[in-house]
Amino acid sequence: MQFSNLNLDYFSILPEIITALAGVILMLIDAFSKKAGRKLSPMFSLFALVATLASIIALWPRASYTASFAGMIVNDHLRLYFALVIVACGIIATLLASQFLDDEALPPGEFYALMMFATTGMLMMASAGDLVMVFLGLETSSIATYVMAGYRRTDLRANESSLKYFLLGSFSAAFLLYGMALTYGATGTTNIEGIRQILIAGKVIYPQMLLVGVAMMLVGFGFKIATAPFHLWTPDVYEGAPTLVTAILATGPKVAVFAAFLRVFAEGLGTPTAPAVGAQIYDNWINALAVMAAIGMTFGNIVALAQRNMKRMLAYSSIAHGGYTLIGFLTTEYAPVGFYMLTYALMSLGAFAIVQMLAREGDAKTEISDYAGIGFEVPNLSFPLAIFMLSMAGIPPMAGFMGKFYVFKSAWVSSPNLRWLVIVAIINSIISVYYYLYPIVVMFFRPPVSDFTKPRLSPMSQLALAITIIGTLYFGLFPNGALKVLQQKTPGAQQVAVQK
Amino acid sequence: MVPLSWYLALSAALFTIGVAGVLVQRNVISIFMCIELMLNSVNLTLVAFSRFLNQSTGQLFVFIVMAVAAAEAAVGLAIIISVFRNRETLSVDEESLLKL
Amino acid sequence: MKEYLPILVVFLFVLGFAVTNLVLAHLLGRHRNTRAKLMPYECGIDPVGSAHQRFSVRFYLVAMMFILFDIEAVFLLPWAVIFRSLSEKLSRPFVYAEMMVFLIVLLVGYIYVWKKGVFEWNRG
Repeated sequence: MQFSNLNLDYFSILPEIITALAGVILMLIDAFSKKAGRKLSPMFSLFALVATLASIIALWPRASYTASFAGMIVNDHLRLYFALVIVACGIIATLLASQFLDDEALPPGEFYALMMFATTGMLMMASAGDLVMVFLGLETSSIATYVMAGYRRTDLRANESSLKYFLLGSFSAAFLLYGMALTYGATGTTNIEGIRQILIAGKVIYPQMLLVGVAMMLVGFGFKIATAPFHLWTPDVYEGAPTLVTAILATGPKVAVFAAFLRVFAEGLGTPTAPAVGAQIYDNWINALAVMAAIGMTFGNIVALAQRNMKRMLAYSSIAHGGYTLIGFLTTEYAPVGFYMLTYALMSLGAFAIVQMLAREGDAKTEISDYAGIGFEVPNLSFPLAIFMLSMAGIPPMAGFMGKFYVFKSAWVSSPNLRWLVIVAIINSIISVYYYLYPIVVMFFRPPVSDFTKPRLSPMSQLALAITIIGTLYFGLFPNGALKVLQQKTPGAQQVAVQK
Repeated sequence: MVPLSWYLALSAALFTIGVAGVLVQRNVISIFMCIELMLNSVNLTLVAFSRFLNQSTGQLFVFIVMAVAAAEAAVGLAIIISVFRNRETLSVDEESLLKL
Repeated sequence: MKEYLPILVVFLFVLGFAVTNLVLAHLLGRHRNTRAKLMPYECGIDPVGSAHQRFSVRFYLVAMMFILFDIEAVFLLPWAVIFRSLSEKLSRPFVYAEMMVFLIVLLVGYIYVWKKGVFEWNRG
């Protein structure tokens, strides 16, 4: 144990400190005054999330590969960018949460506290420079979201969803952990940059064990991002959880796991030119990911065609989107994945928010047939839903199109021998247009259902909806700003010393 | 001294028993215990590596894993209790409201 | 043998603490022996009868709390082991404060469960 390069740079973990502290304070608010909590908690968590956002922006000029806390925290552009997306998801979800909790008469305080802890875990995943931190962040966010999935405590469907999420989540976490343990044994370090250095130097102690370890980590991450063939929990969990929680599960944690996935695989194991086992491992995981991506998109899209429940359809669509995102890994750069995650998070949050508002108490109306003829009854909900559906289908000028275009283009350019995957992806996005258009057709061209009443919309929900709509259109029409941010290179990438 | 491979074989066997248990068992509590067994077999691997590589990193990892496993156990038991209160059964075969 | 002296002191302290408490309880406390109090101590469960009975869910709540607070103690041990060597690198109050922050967070958790009424046995 060396103390020399501890580098206790507390400023670099300011975002995590703010969210964790806010979570603790929210717990105390709830414990001491339930009544005040209903009014105070949403305001306080919004305030804390905006402060987190500010701290991330304040960290931007200090982005570098210099790791703090003995290599546990890395403050580079990947971390800052993903942290920004995660906190943005948190803000939108918080805006939506107060109406959801009021309408369903659920206890408010813990929900915000759990959301803060989940956000802390996600931020930790984005900033992890060490396998220990990846695991810790993953579990922090997972444990908080297990509880949130079952937040409607007396609802059997929510119970079941929470139980399934918990059992399969911890099962997959065990796989991930075993993979990490074997990787540690094979390389002698848990530091991700350290693993890369050892691969490049060709000093792997047990090469075969490293292969097994990496394979198991791939399984663990595959479960967490819900890509085929590890997706089976997704539809059940997404359908059973309260719709707002589904919106959170489908966006924030997924973005964060992709950040950690990029860190471990694209950075730590992205060594195509390393001697012996290093290059072999790179080849293996790139090919495995390509297959996972192909199965994921194809399976997700084809099963989504048969769905008649909006939440299940969106769940399968998110499996397909996970597949598209994996194509971005072929470039071993974070820009395509990062941009796709941004667009996916915006349109997913927006779509689930509208499903939530139309679903009413206890998620009673989530079948697509429930939406018949509502198009001109509630234009303030039906037109945004149409925008999000078109964006997910990848129709210009929405953000979804730009995200897909950027991922496909960069994968096409960077890896000539995996171009078949891009072709599969394009065929898939054509197939997907059918089921994304189906709700629009039902909304606008079917005779209206008789018992439809207009849902209430609180100002905060309207604000959240406005942010997602504007974001979806903005990043579709003017993606250059975001792409410029994404293509920033952290200076001094080559001169990083191995830290043990 | 006991060679490293023995420890690894033991923990791999324990991990496999855990995986098999998760797939075969029908009671939620048993499944949950099998998951804990998987986590603890990983702990054994980490400690063995830590000893043979002469580093403390592996042991540190074990501390984190233990704390996380405890938090997971608390949340897991709470979820199981709330399921039981609503359903009066703990068989996963009965958990079939949501289907493909 | 000299280096074992602190352990002896600890033993004596623990012994003294326990004996003092027992004596004080005997002298100051009121004595009302009920049937329940005179039964063999089995953590609140009837010691006679079938072992295959359902336990109240309250036991699980207390057990969960115990697991959580018990496990957090594992972090105290490595901290205590490296306290001296780390204090030489960093300042001693700083290393001390690090652990205090951790304990305060734990304390907040304790206050939370207390306020939520987890420790009230006869609730609801």
